[in-house]
Amino acid sequence: MSLTVAHGEIFGFLGPNGAGKSTIVKLILGLTYPSAGAIEVLGQPAGSLAARAEVGFLPETFRFHEWLTASELLHFHARLARVPAEGRVERIRELLELVGLGDRVNDRISTYSKGMMQRVGLAQALVGSPRLVILDEPTSALDPIGRRDVRDRIRELGQQGVTVFLNSHLLSEVEQVCDRVAIIDHGVVVAEGRLNELLSAQEIEIRAGPGAAAAAREALGEAAVRALNGRLRVRVADDDQTAMLVRRIVEAGAPVYDVRQVGDSLEELFVRVAEGGDV
Amino acid sequence: MSVQIIALFTLREALRRRVVLAAAVLTFGYLVLYGVGVWFGYRDLQNNAGGPPGLTEAVVSLMLVGGLWSLNFIASMLAVFLSVGALSGEVDQGTLHAIAARPVRRSEIVLGKFVGFVLMLAVFIGVSAAAMILTVAVITGEVVGASWSAPFLMLLASTLLIGLALAGSSRLSPLPNGVIVFTLFATALIGGVIEQIGDVLESAVMFNIGIGTSLVVPTRAIWDLASAQLATGGFAGELSAGPFGASNPPSGWMLLIAGLHLALTLGYAVRTFGRRDF
Repeated sequence: MSLTVAHGEIFGFLGPNGAGKSTIVKLILGLTYPSAGAIEVLGQPAGSLAARAEVGFLPETFRFHEWLTASELLHFHARLARVPAEGRVERIRELLELVGLGDRVNDRISTYSKGMMQRVGLAQALVGSPRLVILDEPTSALDPIGRRDVRDRIRELGQQGVTVFLNSHLLSEVEQVCDRVAIIDHGVVVAEGRLNELLSAQEIEIRAGPGAAAAAREALGEAAVRALNGRLRVRVADDDQTAMLVRRIVEAGAPVYDVRQVGDSLEELFVRVAEGGDV
Repeated sequence: MSVQIIALFTLREALRRRVVLAAAVLTFGYLVLYGVGVWFGYRDLQNNAGGPPGLTEAVVSLMLVGGLWSLNFIASMLAVFLSVGALSGEVDQGTLHAIAARPVRRSEIVLGKFVGFVLMLAVFIGVSAAAMILTVAVITGEVVGASWSAPFLMLLASTLLIGLALAGSSRLSPLPNGVIVFTLFATALIGGVIEQIGDVLESAVMFNIGIGTSLVVPTRAIWDLASAQLATGGFAGELSAGPFGASNPPSGWMLLIAGLHLALTLGYAVRTFGRRDF
């Protein structure tokens, strides 16, 4: 696998379960050691102290020592992240306000809901003013409002020039915040690029009589056509291709009842790629 | 720097854990009970005056040895319970992920936890042993010779167990690690008894088995050093044999062996934990 994330980019990292996403995240952070290959983080070898000093990380499990209060947890991480003592208290108070825990700073984490733990985890990831933030499923436990808040935080980070590496199953979320995405499967990058480029291909849905599928495949190739609930889903490059396709199906003697354009969402792209199709 | 941060964090965590609270409450109850026992025991001893010279001294020292032996046992349990899941348990739970992703060396995590647990045990042993030695001194008016050295040796014994538990925890999950550490601790205890019987029976094999267990886990031998320091009076030899002491105390070389043991277990913990994948 070869992957590059540019400075200041909000990068979405996608893949089906077991594709190797969390392993890659652990490799980037030096939590797991590679058997081969090399990763560089902000110009430093991945896992080196210099690299880790610039990185904030929200783990997928977002499990923290529950006997701590939110404020204590952040102070502990601030010290580990070598945040200067001066201004540390203010910085931590601001961060906890930012993630909506301003009124619970002195409560023990054991009394928190899952969503609140994830929020305190996000604050923890940001406490060292990192240049790269790695968020592993940052909204899995949040309600829709919490998700929107986190999306806003991610956009703010992007505006501040912070690089965000977002590992998420929530495709709509990735679609809304990411500049660029990579989809991996079985440890291989199967699609990578700017979102608008990846999603530019259109799909049309055709309801037609017998013989239409064969005609469509003949016209555009096997990979572009698939059957779905008795209809055909066909990927086309543009409207001219749609018109050509309909003409060919009719010429083949199959009646065409309905032609509809279906927008290609990230979810459709993801499913197609994960099932072994091409972009 | 990071070692210090993690050590203080570990100490605070230990202080807030229920196992420490339970140990503190039970130890306090035990100390009260012990004080009452010493008070009555000493009174009876005074009432039945007329024994051979040095008997009072010897009985007082035995009472102190017995009391400190119990504290040593509680401290050992505490050391094992605290540290047995310190590394792999936290990796399994996921609580170490965010910490290990910080600019902190794995060795600093291991050593920080080690120092934190040792500090915790130092507080526990220091307070409870001082209270016990003072109780005996106040009630009997006897200050048992070299009793100041016993808490340090007790702390060393607990430190060895912490090192052993951390070495296991660098690789094993808490349950199997706990079973192994407890088994080794018990083996050392039993080994000490076998060594004593071997000494009495003049059985070289039994004696050597005892010595052998002390080399593998020197906790019992370190305690024997402490109890030998405490035994005073004409009957010290006879009275200190039994579960609380050794009829044949180990030599000072045991301290060197203990040092090597600690270096080995900590070295193993640092090396194994440093290479493990989360």
